[in-house]
Amino acid sequence: MAKEHKSKKVGTRLGLLALVVAAATIAVWFRQVGQVALPENRLVFILLFLVAAGLGVGAFVARTRWFGGVAAVLAVGVASFFLFTVSISRQEVAPNGIQVGDTMPRFTALDDQGELFDSKTLEGKPVLMKFFRAHW
Amino acid sequence: MVTVSTDLPEEILNGRKHHGLQGHMLSDRDLAVTDAFGLRNLGPHSGPPSGAEALPVPTTLIIDGSGKVLWVDHSENYQRRSGPEYVLAALETHLD
Repeated sequence: MAKEHKSKKVGTRLGLLALVVAAATIAVWFRQVGQVALPENRLVFILLFLVAAGLGVGAFVARTRWFGGVAAVLAVGVASFFLFTVSISRQEVAPNGIQVGDTMPRFTALDDQGELFDSKTLEGKPVLMKFFRAHW
Repeated sequence: MVTVSTDLPEEILNGRKHHGLQGHMLSDRDLAVTDAFGLRNLGPHSGPPSGAEALPVPTTLIIDGSGKVLWVDHSENYQRRSGPEYVLAALETHLD
């Protein structure tokens, strides 16, 4: 009985620690994304999320009190989600994508006022053009 | 300055209220402009379901007055973009 109690104490701590690691990693992640400073090599983040997930699983192996369990589930869930987004984040441009030296294609599109914009109006002016994924 | 995304015009208008960006902000829900530039992402479609069937690769271009492309920068993964200092440095190099 005493042994089980001790094991639960360890498990609970593991669960809480898992959540702390996951939360701290996410905080740093979003801070760096906000500053457009996320490193190309995200290995440190990947390792930290793996550690958080491992600690979370460890909490259940050792058995835990309910709040340690909740923390562990949150940590494993968050860590898995971020590892998933990393795994699908690679971008691939078609080989015939626009390149330096090419001429910009003529195009039309609706602007935010719902009016038709024609790229012809850009003629004679240098342009900075950005394609991005969406407002989220 | 021209921006292109798959957002609808009203979503872009909403965004502009928040960030106050100047310039033309264009809606490309059917990816016609994205495809004209060959910038559709061929990797996994990783965005939330938004009504667009795919998304452009985040890309920054500098184009001169004659329409010639001077500089192109793609994100290798969507979690990383060209930083402002990087783009400003490219602007200084190419438009002086």
